[in-house]
Amino acid sequence: MSLTVMVESLQYKHFCNRAAFGIPLSAVKNSFQPLAIMKEGVADKPIQVIEKPVRDYEGKPNEAEIKVALKKNKEAQIRLNTAWFNQLTDPQVVFREKMTFFWHDHFACRTRNAFLAQQQNNTLRKYALGKFGDLLMAVSKDPAMLQFLNNQQNRKDKPNENFAREVMELFTLGRGNYTESDIKNAARAFTGWAFNPLTGEYLFRSRQHDFDSKTFRGKTGNFSGEDIIQMILGDKQTAFFITHKICKFFAGEAIEKSEVDALAEKFFKSDYDINQLLINLYSSDWFYKNSGNRIKSPVELIAGVQVQTGGNFNNPFNIIFLQKTLGQVLFQPPNVGGWPAGKEWIDSSSLTFRMSLPTLLLRNAESSFQAKDDGDVNDATNTVAKPGQISYTVNWEKLAGSFRKNSADKTLEEVEGFLLVKPTTEENRKMIAAFAGEAKEDLEFLKKACIGFMSLPEYQLS
Amino acid sequence: MASRRSFIKQSALATAGTMLLPNFLKAFEIRPDFIQDSGKVLVVIQLSGGNDGLNTIIPYQNDLYYQHRPTLAISKSNVLKASDSLGFHPSLTKLNELYDQGYLSVINNVGYPNPDRSHFRSMDIWHTASDATEYLTTGWVGRYLDASCKDCHVAHQAIEIDDTLSLALKGETIKGLGVKNPKKLYQILHNEFFQRVSKNIPTDSSNSELHYLYKTLAETTSSADYIYDKSKVYQSAVSYPNNEFAGQLKTVAELINSGIETKVYYVSLSGFDTHVRQQAVHERLLGIYAESVHAFISDLEKNNRFKDVMVMTFSEFGRRVAQNASNGTDHGTANNLFIMGKNLKQKGFINETPDLSKLDEGDLIHQIDFRSVYATVLNKWLGSNDEQILKKKFELLNFA
Repeated sequence: MSLTVMVESLQYKHFCNRAAFGIPLSAVKNSFQPLAIMKEGVADKPIQVIEKPVRDYEGKPNEAEIKVALKKNKEAQIRLNTAWFNQLTDPQVVFREKMTFFWHDHFACRTRNAFLAQQQNNTLRKYALGKFGDLLMAVSKDPAMLQFLNNQQNRKDKPNENFAREVMELFTLGRGNYTESDIKNAARAFTGWAFNPLTGEYLFRSRQHDFDSKTFRGKTGNFSGEDIIQMILGDKQTAFFITHKICKFFAGEAIEKSEVDALAEKFFKSDYDINQLLINLYSSDWFYKNSGNRIKSPVELIAGVQVQTGGNFNNPFNIIFLQKTLGQVLFQPPNVGGWPAGKEWIDSSSLTFRMSLPTLLLRNAESSFQAKDDGDVNDATNTVAKPGQISYTVNWEKLAGSFRKNSADKTLEEVEGFLLVKPTTEENRKMIAAFAGEAKEDLEFLKKACIGFMSLPEYQLS
Repeated sequence: MASRRSFIKQSALATAGTMLLPNFLKAFEIRPDFIQDSGKVLVVIQLSGGNDGLNTIIPYQNDLYYQHRPTLAISKSNVLKASDSLGFHPSLTKLNELYDQGYLSVINNVGYPNPDRSHFRSMDIWHTASDATEYLTTGWVGRYLDASCKDCHVAHQAIEIDDTLSLALKGETIKGLGVKNPKKLYQILHNEFFQRVSKNIPTDSSNSELHYLYKTLAETTSSADYIYDKSKVYQSAVSYPNNEFAGQLKTVAELINSGIETKVYYVSLSGFDTHVRQQAVHERLLGIYAESVHAFISDLEKNNRFKDVMVMTFSEFGRRVAQNASNGTDHGTANNLFIMGKNLKQKGFINETPDLSKLDEGDLIHQIDFRSVYATVLNKWLGSNDEQILKKKFELLNFA
């Protein structure tokens, strides 16, 4: 089956847009069967671009050693970001990566330490399609998360409630489904959950743990942190909270509550099997009714251009620059609540830049836009996100080979069908036809057509 | 692609034609219903990275200050003394002048409960005006737009002089406009493609996301045209320092002096994260800040507009009281905040100096919630409903 025929399957297009980052150029042989397609892109490929754990020096470092360590860490931040960005769209892993990207936002976390960030990212990847209970437990013992939510400071004599609060409010039950007293008692159960900063490994500091009796959600006992997590998982509300969030992410804002509730029931019964939940979602009819109603996040947008053009960034700094200018830098969610969504991504500046993006990439133009410098000297993205020449290579011959060449009309129709989730207006189509028609040779024609359709407001939608 | 040429001919004929103008675009034809216009303007200056307030406004009579900062403290003889206890950093001569003219209020010890020492989170809190324990997705200036201008269809009521828009200016339904250079934005949007797409509105309005995208594009194009036209009206005759920050303030002055109705402007100066060898960096940044702001105010004065403008300067946090081992300072908490205006109701240092003998793990303890400052500006200067915008009632201060 050729690419064109697959594009004509609107279901296939919708599936690729949502479950991955758009329709890949490689032709698919079989007819559209989401399960079969998914199976080919769920390999677990850990990212290993930072070998050493935390520091190189012994004991208390001097100024020069600190400087070297900071510089190395900044380089590592850039390496990690670009390594993941490039892996997101790898066909062998793309469905697992999309889910990892979802969890990266759900379990939003920031750490200066690039090694810990890499470690957490690999943990999310490992459990991305497994059991949510395993994922939750692993994240709760993840050093980057323990550091971010101040659990290193959560001690028997001086409990810190940050971690306990966010676990319930943002990661599992949702606001309003627990009491302040539940938070206090859960925080006590998590005392002593820490990590070794030298190795970056989880550590239970039993001397700092509160072994006394706790009352949590109506039950009293000598609960450990693990017990608390099991009790949270035992509440069906967690399955509903997670299912609704996943469905909103993959199916868009306009989801049917009753349909999602039914999926949540099954999710709970399956002992929180994430892969099964996705299969159920992609097997439902209603999932396919909502195409074109979701605004791509910046990372989805850039990754989508890469998937659809099969292109490559030659300068890793360009990748950081684009993420930063569009407002979504991997590993840097704005807060523990995660990134904005939908219309929140679009304002006059971001839309102008999004619509200029195809020309920047496909013409290797120089950007006059500048990303914001947030003033943090230890954030590497501030230094490398300078505007400048974009270096992005597309194999236009290969791309052209994906379209039938019986007429300019037909080609344009195919390019439009390939790039846009839904057809644009007749006026826009005619304008792009005229624009592309100025080309004197085929590849330039294709390039102009791609730039035209990708620069439309419609291209922001998936 | 063989028959392309014939196709081109065919399509060229079909491109002409007029489009129906949807309702929301008609709003551009007439002047939009604006925020009840008091003619008052707010300019927010953000010092990104965490400005060291203690070395900006210096408690030069305080021995603890000198003890905590053996090499970084500004020596008593170099301080530009303004009151019995406080003075300005030597780079701030121009700020000192504004103080002498009665155009400056310094509010000390501004912060919020449970201070967060991370840049992004603390800035997030300042932008959204949230508690440290809540997460909001709208900014305080954005919510001011939402509250004051429900049915307006323009993006330029709040302008950030930058290529990207900060969270502070994003409301639920209305977002401000990011524009670094009115001419550049105009040129980008005035290529034929943008112009035509912005008019090719899909008639099917059932897809609210698509509708929103086209609406934003139309507003952006319209605002860019308007701002560019207006920006040509007035060319500043005042000489500004030669740096990017001064250039941004010059753009703001030109827009204000040209009579554009924008209510809030937002400008940033970055680089205040002075962990290492602070002295030279801080000296340079404070000089840039003071000289640029001084030129800006002179520009407004010349055009008799300073009376309509209030300038507020903040940073996401101050720095630790004690210096670190690298001749720098690490992230702290409470900080001073500057208000400038022609007819301030309270001038100079309007509250207590920081108490260096009572610290919270080495950090200053805040006395005034920053949202009290926002509330005062919103209520007394912009005449809006501070409680609705900030989602809570905060004590109003007396500088405005």
